[in-house]
Amino acid sequence: MVDFLSQYSIQRWLEMCPQGYLDGTVYGHDPGETEAPEILEVDSLREASIAVTVQLIAGERCALAASSGLINCAPDDASKTFLATQTLDEARHVEIFTQRLMDLGVKKENVNSTVADLANPHLVKFAETLLEKVSDGDFVAGVVGQNIILEGMAFSVFELLQASAAGNPKFAKTLAGTIADERRHVGFGENRIGSLIREHPEKKAEVQAMQAEMSYHMLATFTDMFSDAGQRMEEAKQLVADKEDNPLEGVTWHGADLMSATPDVMEAVLADTVLNEFRTRLDRIGIEYQSPKVPARA
Amino acid sequence: MNDDLDTVTAPATATATDEPPRRTYELEETGFREVPKRWRRFYRIWQGEGDTLAPNEVICPVCKVVIRSRRELRPGDRVYCMPCMSRLVVVRNADGGLEAEVVY
Repeated sequence: MVDFLSQYSIQRWLEMCPQGYLDGTVYGHDPGETEAPEILEVDSLREASIAVTVQLIAGERCALAASSGLINCAPDDASKTFLATQTLDEARHVEIFTQRLMDLGVKKENVNSTVADLANPHLVKFAETLLEKVSDGDFVAGVVGQNIILEGMAFSVFELLQASAAGNPKFAKTLAGTIADERRHVGFGENRIGSLIREHPEKKAEVQAMQAEMSYHMLATFTDMFSDAGQRMEEAKQLVADKEDNPLEGVTWHGADLMSATPDVMEAVLADTVLNEFRTRLDRIGIEYQSPKVPARA
Repeated sequence: MNDDLDTVTAPATATATDEPPRRTYELEETGFREVPKRWRRFYRIWQGEGDTLAPNEVICPVCKVVIRSRRELRPGDRVYCMPCMSRLVVVRNADGGLEAEVVY
């Protein structure tokens, strides 16, 4: 156990992250990179990009509050140290996605009102479910909710966005750095809770109920985000198809062709991917996955 | 280059005397930057459909990165995934291939 926990050090984090893949970046991307011209020039695409970025900021604000809140209820110094590094990772994510919002034309003074207006209500509920556990000082439930459920969702969402951003190197690079961070976060969630849940089997029922509730709000967020995406996705596909070298030609994500998949197909693939990941990860640490309610379509 | 470095933390002991010696591999840089420099050649990003694993490679089930070793991997080997800091053991799956399981 001592060897296992000793790897969570500030020195290791420094070597991997700021001195590693973030070295030389500016707000997570290479200096001088800008958003793809079509996103800045076509209003509907810019508005869609703003809406997606707002959900990322809302999710990362939740992660920042959760990881910082968990530090004081962590049962050992190594976990506190890891969560301190995760807190800085999450603060960076909030900052780089907020910067993207401003790069997309949202004025600094309007950032908070834009986030409040556009954050999906189900994503807010998802965050509240997690933060309630953190406020209660419940380390096991908090880490499962934060590092397995929230981070597991973020991992897949970021990968899908990265695949979709093949023609937008700035955003793809920004996402690559966050995905690298998420690897550590899901690793901590599984490895730390994998051992702790064996010591606290009485926590399983409560954690399972939380997982079902968070999963429901996640699915409802996906449904809302994809429900009116048809025309916008077609517009975006047409714009990239018109390019001499279509960056999305032949790009797939978990079997879905990004140039031909409908919003319904993409929603289903994303939901299946994330839920399967939840099931697999929870099974590995001895928690029984609970199928969430299926959200109603508008 | 430090030739002592490897992702295998404890190789499986041979169970049969006629087991052939392990093949060794010269690892090239793969563009992976998520770990300190001296370790970067030991990992690569899984490319999805069309990608295949070499006999010295296994996918981390936690973070999906491909872990590479300087030696052919065998069931029972204990390997370390530095990007997500998971400790793993190599097992033979139903298809006859190698996969990794997390050790908690």
